[in-house]
Amino acid sequence: MLGFTIEKRQEPLKWGSFFIFLGALVFSLGVSALLLAIQGKPPLEAMYLLWDGAFAHDWALEDTVLKAIPIFLCSLGVAVCFRMQIWNIGAEGQYALGAIGATWVVLSMPDAPVWVLMPLMFLAAATLGALWAIIPALLREKMGLNEIISTLMFNYIGILFLEFLVYGSWKDPASFGFPMTIMFPDTAIIGELFGRIHWGILVCAGAATALTVFLKHTRLGFEIMVSGENPRAARYARMPYSALVVLVMGICGALAGWAGLIETSATLNRLQPTIVVGYGFTAIVVAWLARLRITSIAGYSILLAGLRVGVENLQLELQVPASFTGIMQGLILLSVLAGQFFNWYSFQRSKRG
Amino acid sequence: MAEYVNKRTNRGAFAGQAPFVRLQAISKHFGKVRANHEITLDIRPGMIKALLGENGAGKSTLMSILSGRFQQTSGDILVDGALTAFHSPKDAIKAGIGMVYQHFMLVESMTVAQNVLLGQEKAFLISPKEQEREVAALAEQYGLPIDPSATVSSLSMGEKQRVEILKLLYRDSRVLILDEPTAVLTPTETEQLFDAMWRMADQGKSLVFISHKLKEVMAVADEIAILRKGEVVDEFKEADVPNEAVLANRMVGRDVELALDAQPVELGATVLDVQGLDGDGLEDIMLSVRKGEIVAIAGVAGNGQKELVEVVCGLRKPVRGDVSILGLEWHDFYPRPPRKGRSLAYIPEDRQGLATCKFVDLVDNFLLTTRHSFTTGPFLNRSKAVDTTIEIVEQFNVQPGHIDADARALSGGNLQKLVIGREFFRQPDIIVAENPTQGLDISATEEVWQRLLEVRKRSGILLITSELNEALQLADRIAVMYRGRIIDQFPKSDTKKVEAIGLMMAGVTPE
Repeated sequence: MLGFTIEKRQEPLKWGSFFIFLGALVFSLGVSALLLAIQGKPPLEAMYLLWDGAFAHDWALEDTVLKAIPIFLCSLGVAVCFRMQIWNIGAEGQYALGAIGATWVVLSMPDAPVWVLMPLMFLAAATLGALWAIIPALLREKMGLNEIISTLMFNYIGILFLEFLVYGSWKDPASFGFPMTIMFPDTAIIGELFGRIHWGILVCAGAATALTVFLKHTRLGFEIMVSGENPRAARYARMPYSALVVLVMGICGALAGWAGLIETSATLNRLQPTIVVGYGFTAIVVAWLARLRITSIAGYSILLAGLRVGVENLQLELQVPASFTGIMQGLILLSVLAGQFFNWYSFQRSKRG
Repeated sequence: MAEYVNKRTNRGAFAGQAPFVRLQAISKHFGKVRANHEITLDIRPGMIKALLGENGAGKSTLMSILSGRFQQTSGDILVDGALTAFHSPKDAIKAGIGMVYQHFMLVESMTVAQNVLLGQEKAFLISPKEQEREVAALAEQYGLPIDPSATVSSLSMGEKQRVEILKLLYRDSRVLILDEPTAVLTPTETEQLFDAMWRMADQGKSLVFISHKLKEVMAVADEIAILRKGEVVDEFKEADVPNEAVLANRMVGRDVELALDAQPVELGATVLDVQGLDGDGLEDIMLSVRKGEIVAIAGVAGNGQKELVEVVCGLRKPVRGDVSILGLEWHDFYPRPPRKGRSLAYIPEDRQGLATCKFVDLVDNFLLTTRHSFTTGPFLNRSKAVDTTIEIVEQFNVQPGHIDADARALSGGNLQKLVIGREFFRQPDIIVAENPTQGLDISATEEVWQRLLEVRKRSGILLITSELNEALQLADRIAVMYRGRIIDQFPKSDTKKVEAIGLMMAGVTPE
């Protein structure tokens, strides 16, 4: 083929794989710049604006970290499911249910003291989020329903349910008809820790630590690992495979639920439909890019959150639509995944004639 | 056991001919592992060359290099004296070198003739009649009886193998490499294969026969090369092939004791009792196993052994009949059998896919079924498991014993030793062992047999085997299975019945 043949490497690349990743990133940015150039936008300036808007200033970094928090939590959960080869793409819906759960607690007891309100909000968000994930898990294990389909459908049900509440009985009478609940009382708001960064980031740190310990050092974590590596061996060793499926889905739902809670309470201070912006889908991209490793998930959450923030800058300065984020996200994912091909294969100049 | 009579008629005609393929100082390294080291080997026309060696000795690696699947790290391949490089199996096939792998690569839903001609059709439109005639002629020429119009899925393992060989012959291969070809065959099919091999050699083909079965190698080969630890340690030409003991010795590098001490031990309580098990292809199975004995189920694979094992091991519900394990009814024992002590251990045939995880290290593989012994509260005490794994690896002689290596780094025999060590650690009262030495070399087989005989003192063993020799070496009682039924069961001391096992395996009941 054009004087080159593809050959399998005898050993996978080690350090070289980092350069492959960089190459893939540069390639995807290059294609993005090309797309902008076709539209008559200055590509180099656009790339600069992207960087400038995402990482170059304190306010930009703060924005990026704030957006990375919900993405990180959702992605942690998604990664646990993916480790067991359970393809849960319902983080978005679980996130919406978490927001609903938290808001429900706030609206039911707005005058409760903070030490009652906060724990109940976290409990309700985790429970509803987990429930939204466990139903597809049960459908999969009891009736053989493909979890990709069911979690995808559950996203829409969850999001529409949120809108139903906010347009209906939960609407703030003083909102001039806008679909939003009342402003949360101060006791229900996750406060700022440093700058505009709120203590939701501590929730991320705690969840990541707990999950690492769980996966690495407990028997259930071991069973999840084996079930993902080889489901037949898991059954042979009498591991409760179905129960583990329910467990990982529940964990994911709870974490995504907390992401919804944090976004509602800390960022918007009330529930409104604009809370659903696709963090749950970005989380899937992050989990894949990070190859399901928890530390890498943190890095990639910041990268993709930065992309979202940076594109807002592009939108302002160059009138590039915000949906360009989706295009870039897709390009990065595809080129990084395609790049992984080179971990195992290489092009060789063909030796024939 | 059957003695093979060499039926070659034309070997003299090829004596002293120049080699067709010469491997010269071939070395192959996988990372730090040295799979082949400076191997020089001639493959001559009209000769059957046996590559004899234990698992992990480097036979398969060497042949994968010759058939173009791997590239050598250093060394040369000379075809007809000319330096040649293979980049893919395609190149090797072009040069006239083809390999029959242990796992057949056939399209099950197509006919024999279609499979043979696949990718080799000479014209755009082809008549099935013409195809079949062509294949039939080829089969006739080399003594590979087969119906060219039969669908592959309806064929026996032996027949499928013939199709694989015909594929190579149709491509005018001059070197045919057969990787452990007899592992899947019945005794009769093995004899037929050997007849065909002699016939092919008499017509000038070179054959490479990879095996670790001494008897077969002695019977069929013209030349024998012994591999050990990636090196050729010995080569014998036509006339000077020594006896079996010498070969075995050279192969493992020490004196092997092939006769086992299988003195009966005292019998204990009944650990498995099957009464009238029926359904799922099984027919009225009556079977019981007591502590202190090995009961072998002999028979060609696919005659209901798998279904029986699955029922006993709780992977399949009994349709009809009573199964009681350790005194408990099946429905009381499963789905939550005891985790240690009074437990059942299953050593499956599929060591790689079922009993272990390929990409997981030895400690985690050890923990697979023993994890409950290392659990405190929710936590898994991995450091304790590491110590125990090291002990097991030493005690059961698992090589190489790097416990942080992935399971896939182990050869079949060593993986099996790890699985056995793990299952014995649980101190089971009943052990179900399914073809426990399939694909294992002499020394590993011997170790596994020794372990099973030892453990008899503590537990009852149900041994499922398609190797007659294994049944005869180990069993106290033998049951022969054919088409879902147990044709007969008898103690090993019943020499008259033991004589007739071969027939029973083919469904013939004596008298």
